[in-house]
This record gives sequence, structure tokens and C-alpha cells, in this order.
Amino acid sequence: MKGYLKALVLTLVCLAILIPLASNAPDGLEKVAETLGIEEHEPIWSGLMPDYTIPTIDNPYLSTLLAGTAGVFLVLCVTFLLGKLIVKK
Amino acid sequence: MHIPDGYLSVEMCILTYALAIVFLVWSWKKAKAAYSQSIAPLLAISSAFVFAAQMINFPITYGTSGHLVGGTFLSILLGPYAAILSMTIVLMMQAVFFADGGIFTFGANVLNMAVIGALSFFLIQLLIKNSKRKGWLFSSVFVASWLSVVLGALACGLEIGFSPVFSNAGGIAVTVPAMLFWHVLIGLGEAAITTTLITQLHRLQTPILNSLTFLRGSGQNERIP
Repeated sequence: MKGYLKALVLTLVCLAILIPLASNAPDGLEKVAETLGIEEHEPIWSGLMPDYTIPTIDNPYLSTLLAGTAGVFLVLCVTFLLGKLIVKK
Repeated sequence: MHIPDGYLSVEMCILTYALAIVFLVWSWKKAKAAYSQSIAPLLAISSAFVFAAQMINFPITYGTSGHLVGGTFLSILLGPYAAILSMTIVLMMQAVFFADGGIFTFGANVLNMAVIGALSFFLIQLLIKNSKRKGWLFSSVFVASWLSVVLGALACGLEIGFSPVFSNAGGIAVTVPAMLFWHVLIGLGEAAITTTLITQLHRLQTPILNSLTFLRGSGQNERIP
């Protein structure tokens, strides 16, 4: 269990270091749409943390870091439950 | 490669949802039969890692970027069935909380990334057969993870190409080559990252890779070091 905790801390540390280095360029699909002149519609659902930011936080680094950390814990909790359900007798 | 809402036709959304549900039910049943011990902690931390990794886009060329999908990585750690479920949860959280990938296009995204990504496990299995050589295993991981992104992009190109928004701009004759062009490159990033992660986990002798002995039946556990 200690190993898992280490992996979690390492994941968050890497995230904190790499967020400012991440590319803001469009990804493959966005690039294709852009080249073909297709606009992305106004989303019908923009989520609580659109584009991995927390709307109420102005600092872009903190906003993305906190959104990312929230996401990591959300995924952690839901997949842990999933794991419990898979093996449940 | 997350398809936003509005790119796919209603028919394509229904078709991809139906296919995704078939794969999810199949992997749920298979996963239930496959694990004898709790994989909950490993499942949780590896999924959380993949979520974090997907946030970090690396630059490719010509002002385009890509990020790790992680389907192959998860399938090596968890086996293909739990990997499909795990990636589906990651995609669901991204769509619901971060508006990354649409709600109606969720089925398509599950197919392109979770299903195709995790099924690359069987390619690794096929490639390494009975070989015990580590170098061959790592090469197989490289090829499989590259191919998982390229095939995912092919599926994505077909899905958007057959939908009106893109069919008016040239359809699959345009979308498929364009998607493949970028993802042949992005796949190299996927392959480099996945192979590095697996070699490092192997070098550290973590019990994580041994945990595949959790898998019962179908001889999967003998394949991985």
C-alpha cells in the first residue's frame, strides 16, 4: 500500500512540474478540424472545470494544477470502487 | 483525440454508443471472472496516473500536439478487461467534469481510446508468443502502443468522416488520411512514453508487474515478466 501512495505522490509532483511545460497547440483531431475550417460548437455541457481550469481561480497555473489534482482524486475514488465491485463475490 | 459534441451525426452517436456498450458488458463479465484478488488499489492509482498524463500535451510538429492515451499501458498493468473499464472511467470523468470529449460522442471516444487501446494487449501477446527475451517484449510494447493510437485515429477519422459536419468538407477521403498523418507521429510519443514506463517499472522490479498473476485462466499471467 506504501508503494501505491508513493506512486500517487509522484504522479501529483510530475503533474505540478509538467503543467507549465505542456504544449498548448491543438491536438491531432483539433488540427484536422481547424485545417478543414470546422468550428467547434458552443458545448452543450461545459462541465465544472472546463478545459482543466477552475473558473474562480485567476492564476492559470494554480487553476490547472488544482483542477488536475481534483481530477486525479475523482478518478482515484471511482476506479477504486470499480476495483472493489469487480472482485466482489 | 477526444471528439467533442457536434462533430458526429445522431446515427453515428447511436452506433458508437451501442458498440461501446457491447464491449463494456463483455469486459465487465470477463473482468469479473479474471481477478482472484483485489486489484482496487492498482486499478485506482494507474487510472489516476493516466488521467494526469493525458493532461500533458507534448508538441509534435507544425503547431500540433498530442498526449498519452495510455490504453496499452493500462492493459499491461491490469489486463485488457479492467483496462477497458478503467479507461472508460477516465474518459467519463473528463467528459463530465472537464468538458474534454462530448457527452453524445462518449461512446465513440470509448471505442477509439478505451477499447482499441486496451485490445492492443492481445497484439503484445501475439507478438511475444513464448519468447522470454525482455528486448522483444519491450519492442512489442512499442509497436502495440503505436498501433493503438494509429488505429484509434483511423476509427475517429471514419466516425467524423461519415458525419455531415465533416462529410461536407470532403468526408473520409480527407479525414482518414489527415487523422492518420498526425497520429502516426503522436503514436511515436505514445510508444516512447509507454515503453519507458514499462521498462522502468520492470527495472525497479516493482511488484506491480507481477500482480498480473491476479489474472486467472487464459494463460495471460505467464506472458508478462
